[in-house]
Amino acid sequence: MHHNSANILKRGSLGTRAQQEQRLGWSLVFPSVVIILVLILYPVLYNTFLSLFAFDVSGNRTFVGLGNYAEVLRDREFRLALGTTLLYVVCTTLGTTVLGVVVALALHRKFPLRSLVRSIVLLPYVAPVISVVFAWQFVFDPVNGIFMEIFHSQLGWFSQRMNIVGDPSTAVWAAIVFSIWKNFPFTYLMVLSRLQAIDQTLYEAAEVDGASPWQQFKAITMPEIYFVVNALILLRVIWNFNKFDEVYLLSSNVKVLSVYTYLKAFTGTMDFGQGSTLAVLQFVLLIGFILFYVKKVLKW
Amino acid sequence: MVKRKNPLKSLLFFLLILLIVFFCLFPFGQMLSLSLKYSWDWGNPSWIPTKINLDAYKELLNIGSSLKDVPESVLLLLEESPELTAVQKKAILATYQDTGDVFPFLKYFRNSLLLSFLASFISTCLAVLGAYAFSRLQFLGRSVVQRGVLFVYMFGGILLLIPLYRIFASLLLLSSPGGTLASLLIIYVVQTLPVSLYMLGNYFRTIPYSIEEAAMIEGLSRFGTIMKIIIPLSLSAIFTVFIYCFMIAWNEYMFASVFLKSYKALYTLPIGLKTLFMSKNAIWDRIMAASMLTAVPVMILFMSIQKNLTSGLASGGVKE
Repeated sequence: MHHNSANILKRGSLGTRAQQEQRLGWSLVFPSVVIILVLILYPVLYNTFLSLFAFDVSGNRTFVGLGNYAEVLRDREFRLALGTTLLYVVCTTLGTTVLGVVVALALHRKFPLRSLVRSIVLLPYVAPVISVVFAWQFVFDPVNGIFMEIFHSQLGWFSQRMNIVGDPSTAVWAAIVFSIWKNFPFTYLMVLSRLQAIDQTLYEAAEVDGASPWQQFKAITMPEIYFVVNALILLRVIWNFNKFDEVYLLSSNVKVLSVYTYLKAFTGTMDFGQGSTLAVLQFVLLIGFILFYVKKVLKW
Repeated sequence: MVKRKNPLKSLLFFLLILLIVFFCLFPFGQMLSLSLKYSWDWGNPSWIPTKINLDAYKELLNIGSSLKDVPESVLLLLEESPELTAVQKKAILATYQDTGDVFPFLKYFRNSLLLSFLASFISTCLAVLGAYAFSRLQFLGRSVVQRGVLFVYMFGGILLLIPLYRIFASLLLLSSPGGTLASLLIIYVVQTLPVSLYMLGNYFRTIPYSIEEAAMIEGLSRFGTIMKIIIPLSLSAIFTVFIYCFMIAWNEYMFASVFLKSYKALYTLPIGLKTLFMSKNAIWDRIMAASMLTAVPVMILFMSIQKNLTSGLASGGVKE
């Protein structure tokens, strides 16, 4: 790399300074651009291409046009997966956002050991999914878990010990709780850094005018964090709509779209045709949502 | 902000803080406590083990090849058969204590470390150059490239999984262990490159341009300023990006599970742990001890870069 660029510079000394910059600029981003084009954009196009084929067990393909799409759209399991995904995305986005904002507001105030608490709050976000997922599985363990210990034995909200993670109808709720716990620190962090950037004189002026804390929150804090919170909601929807690891590792019973696609393409008959079709549909749905959100909510 | 202290409000506020701290920490407490408990102690809701059990850690880290798994009768038999050589005795004992078959933690740990380290190193190097170009140089197509990098955020892993698998398989890379490792390495570089470019680009913009100008007037080339000025000035940011990439690669499960499926010896920690959990060797204390040992290096790394990472994340570079 060093030699290359040094040579380019030498040759560039014949041209103007702007030309030198052009050449150096491109030679510096060139490796990154090639990697992104070859290994991200090309695969996305190739995936779309694959979705037009049917694959047999030995991996040979035959062109079927939009046949895979017709089949997937008729598939009841696809619609179930879509429903599960929507439930998962809505609940996790809501929970993550509300909890993140509340924690950010709380930790913005001064109190003893604040910096320690601020570090602790980030731990769920940085811990490897694969480790904490087992801790949560034990939390929901029907026999020994703390969840059933509290809500069945102590409070009696459940009439019997249930296997929440093991039962497909309830596993999605465990996945939602886990996702909120894992990801709210990110929202917290972003909102906190926005709160710290608010001009303190605004609050002082409001206090002089006799505004109550609630009025101050509504008139100053809310408008100041409005944009960052909405951007975070958009990011959270994008990420959680595509989420695989956090769901699949907690319980493969939660068939959100990513998990459904993975199981279709890499287990059983390894149906790459339908798998890539599902991936395309998921992407199209997401792009549709993003465009809608950016236009209607963020009003860009 | 709050000047007049209302004792009741203060109390409620501290309860809220306690609740937040507890909510964040209790799964970790659960993990640590369970990894130290004997199986008869699991139902005990208290986190403090009745009796500390370090067997799981010893087993995973291969400390002290204890004879506890060897049946008494075999031990007796070995003692009473002088016709067996020392080597033969050792071989017989080894069949009982070979924990490598149960869960070769250290091997998976090495695999994970190697892959994550190389991927984040390559990604960071490429990103330093690319991010410098983004933040300092005027060239045709710069904004298109920059936006393209952002656009890539929207692609979930699942969209790339099938085509990348097909591409690498058709290049026959997946038929040898070395090729498979290389494929996975390339994928991890791609997965971490956009976020590295973005984070470093943001950081480089905060370095005053006048420093570079002065150096260039002194006769330093553009490339020289990168090596002699930009890199030394942003070492902590570069380190932060490196660690962030390392954490992404360390945690990655989906690509690893598909690509490494038929190479058990190449398993990384996430697939190794998942496989352990699904196997008949799944015992809570062993799983939790392995989870702790997987989490601890990442948490230590995080603590070392916390300040920089939080400001790096806050300036918008992030990937999930």
